[in-house]
Amino acid sequence: MSAQTGVASIPPPPASVRGLARARMGFSRLLADPNPVWMRELKAAARLQRTPVVLAVTTGMMTLLVCSVGGIASIDAEPAKVGVWLYHTFFSLAFALVAWMGPAMAATGIAAERSGGTWEALELTGLGAAAIARGKFLGALTYVTMYLVMLAPVGALPFLFGGVTALEVVLAFVVLGGIAVLSVTFGLAMSSKFSSPALAILVTLLVSIPASIAAYAGLGVGLSFAANSLWHGVAAGPPVWLPTAYARADFGIEYLTLLVLVPAVLVVLPAWLFHEITVANMAAPSDDRSTRLRVWTLVAGPFMTVTCVASGVALNDPSWFIAGEMGLVMTYLFVGFLFAGEPLAPSRRVEARWERERAGAGKRFLGPGVMRACTLLLLLVLGSFAALLAAAALTLRTPSDRDGVLALGGYAAAFLVFVAGFAAWTRARSRSNGVPRVLLLGVLFLAFVGPWIAMAIAGIFESSERALLVAAPSPLYAFHLRKVIASGTSDAEVAVLAGSVAAVSWAVIGLGLFALASGRVEQRVAEERALRAGLEAPSGSSA
Amino acid sequence: MTTGEYEPFRPSVPSELAPASRPSAPPPPAISVRHLWHRYGTLDVLRDVSFDVAPGEIFGFIGPNGAGKTTTIRAMATLLEPTAGSVHIDGHDASLDPDEVRRIIGYMPDHAGVYERITVREFLEFFADAYRIPELGVVDAVIELTDLTKLSDRLVATLSKGMKQRLQIARTLLHDPKVLVLDEPASDLDPRARIEVRDLLLELRELGKTIFLSSHILTELSDVCTSVGILERGELVVAGPIGEIAERLALQRSSSARPAPVAPPVADGAPGTTDVPVGASGAAAPVVTPGGAPIPEATRKRLKLRVLGDSQAILPMLQGGSGVLGVEAGPGGLIVLYYVGGDQYVAEVVRYLVTSGVGLVSVEPERNELERIFLEVTKGDLS
Repeated sequence: MSAQTGVASIPPPPASVRGLARARMGFSRLLADPNPVWMRELKAAARLQRTPVVLAVTTGMMTLLVCSVGGIASIDAEPAKVGVWLYHTFFSLAFALVAWMGPAMAATGIAAERSGGTWEALELTGLGAAAIARGKFLGALTYVTMYLVMLAPVGALPFLFGGVTALEVVLAFVVLGGIAVLSVTFGLAMSSKFSSPALAILVTLLVSIPASIAAYAGLGVGLSFAANSLWHGVAAGPPVWLPTAYARADFGIEYLTLLVLVPAVLVVLPAWLFHEITVANMAAPSDDRSTRLRVWTLVAGPFMTVTCVASGVALNDPSWFIAGEMGLVMTYLFVGFLFAGEPLAPSRRVEARWERERAGAGKRFLGPGVMRACTLLLLLVLGSFAALLAAAALTLRTPSDRDGVLALGGYAAAFLVFVAGFAAWTRARSRSNGVPRVLLLGVLFLAFVGPWIAMAIAGIFESSERALLVAAPSPLYAFHLRKVIASGTSDAEVAVLAGSVAAVSWAVIGLGLFALASGRVEQRVAEERALRAGLEAPSGSSA
Repeated sequence: MTTGEYEPFRPSVPSELAPASRPSAPPPPAISVRHLWHRYGTLDVLRDVSFDVAPGEIFGFIGPNGAGKTTTIRAMATLLEPTAGSVHIDGHDASLDPDEVRRIIGYMPDHAGVYERITVREFLEFFADAYRIPELGVVDAVIELTDLTKLSDRLVATLSKGMKQRLQIARTLLHDPKVLVLDEPASDLDPRARIEVRDLLLELRELGKTIFLSSHILTELSDVCTSVGILERGELVVAGPIGEIAERLALQRSSSARPAPVAPPVADGAPGTTDVPVGASGAAAPVVTPGGAPIPEATRKRLKLRVLGDSQAILPMLQGGSGVLGVEAGPGGLIVLYYVGGDQYVAEVVRYLVTSGVGLVSVEPERNELERIFLEVTKGDLS
């Protein structure tokens, strides 16, 4: 029974109920016994007197703006063009609203619980960090959706002018919904790290505003040209091209890959990651904060790999393989950064829970512990790059294209092995989980930029081609390597040799650090156990 | 009544001093803390803290700010995994089995916040849902128990601090916890609100709850606590029932003290009594037994009585009685009795006076025992 709604709860479906029937029952349960945090958020929001005022003012301003653009455009343009202009104007403004307001709204959620002194009471209810995060997410998303619903009539205006179809308007709102989900989960992830709502909002906006502008310019305006080259029905230049591409592009493997798989990866994986970060940050330090993030990594890595392989194979273009390699490098660098803050080993609490649940080796492998985490990273890096490079080797027919992709991918994989080893080693030597992350960022910066600075200095004394060899330790050298291989010049052999030596060195150093980290972690865990045993002995004394 | 018509006051031996009749198997403690250590970096904020709290007790956790009270409480509330040691609540390990412990305890943190923009009832309904409490009637029952019925439809933002604190206690009771852990429940409250919180705690004890509360305000604890633990610089300096601690301290002091000069006996020389000069200052000067052993200050108590008529006339009835260290009369029928003993002793005094025909108006035992214990066992430094 839900005290807040007064509705009788529906018991969970028996194990025999599966598939759609189970999902339907789950949805009925959600309606009958909604998330308590969500319900409270709604009640509190309903009492906020400024809510209807802000909603009305926002809608009014948006209407005035769209009407002004429409009025100016209609002076010397035909209605269909006015409709297209209004479409892009409205959804660009709506994008800004969602991309800025969504994170800002969500950013107060958990930080306000901490600053308001309600967090511990909530934590001790046994509701669980995941349920609390879901409630906060639903609360913030409901609020953002209220704005979208209020704006919907204004958004329908372009359709009345022509130039865009009703379906394209509806699809644009669906895309906006996806962006709203992403924005809100990002805001909550930021909120979960802060104790002050004001600081949480400030930092969130400092990140989300530039990121949204970059996404608008890059993924909006920039990608519209690529979309136009693939599907001529999609206009080149206007930012809101994705909804029109869904309606106008020819259905096929490219449609499925680029308009379904890639956007799904770009929305679902980050949104899921943000949710897991939120849950991990809300859990107590001695609780299991790792398994859910590890599961995300275990799914995201292969899913990203499949997407990169699929887009490369579908388009049979080395650029798409390279884009895939870059995507994997970015993903695994982030994962390395994440794992550098792992605890050394599972806490007593986690171990006791494992014992009670008789957890198997698989579950324990995904649990807390820096060595487990970095082992998983190593395996994923090797697996992903092996799959991608094999696909490139089999798909690309031109030797120079193929060799370039293989060189870039090989170097990237070797460097990521180093990242996994370094993350494990710094964490094994550090007492906090923040220092290894800072050190990793510093080392990444040095590795990427340092050799180029050395090269610039060496260039004073040597010829530019020979000086370039000095930059071989930088992972960015792999791009030069690809260029040299494609050009087929006489220097290619030396460049490949230098690149190979650098890549192998990175991998060997990484594996060495990994081995050192393993020993150090074992030693520290044994020391901590001995200290605890000493203190807990009846005559325990401070060690 | 005349002063020559009374029987001398001869109370029975105070129960605290009689051999305790122990039950064969004492109930397991509701809270058991063993060798608790916690370190922040290189700083030990808790050092080998061990104590038990029996079921149904109100245990006061005393210590200056920074002594480690909140750290201990957070470990008890499953919010902090200590560096070493264990906390068991009703037999469940707080570090290893936090979910079970969370079902057993009701925890109110220091300076706990509330959701301002919902009503009192909505606040409790929210937590009832969060605790997954199946019965709707629980919220009504808790509202009634905590006397919030008239305020149930008021916005939380409009409540006074005392009422918000009451609401917090109501929140902790929703899932019917066996153990209540309250961190500074009366801090920042006005006197009336403190009295209300105190009365509520006593009512909850009557309902069988074990209550663990921390404070650095001793008078707040002395009114309600059956046992105390005193923490200083991360170390537990003493723990147990207040009376027992007082006795233990008395024994410690008497065993270590040098013999004091023997005071002259009183005129009527009742055996087993000590001389107590009565003066306006009210100070009980003699501190030795007839055998010459000093009577520790911690065991000497003061009882204020108010009688009808002339209090001077009553003094001879009490002077020289067993356990009486001194008596003095004041204006308006006031009598101040210095004595050694516990509650049983006070009851004997009252019964004796009433049966002797004295018109007894009020009896007020002194309440500063805890303060005396605290001052005696702590050193007063934090670093």
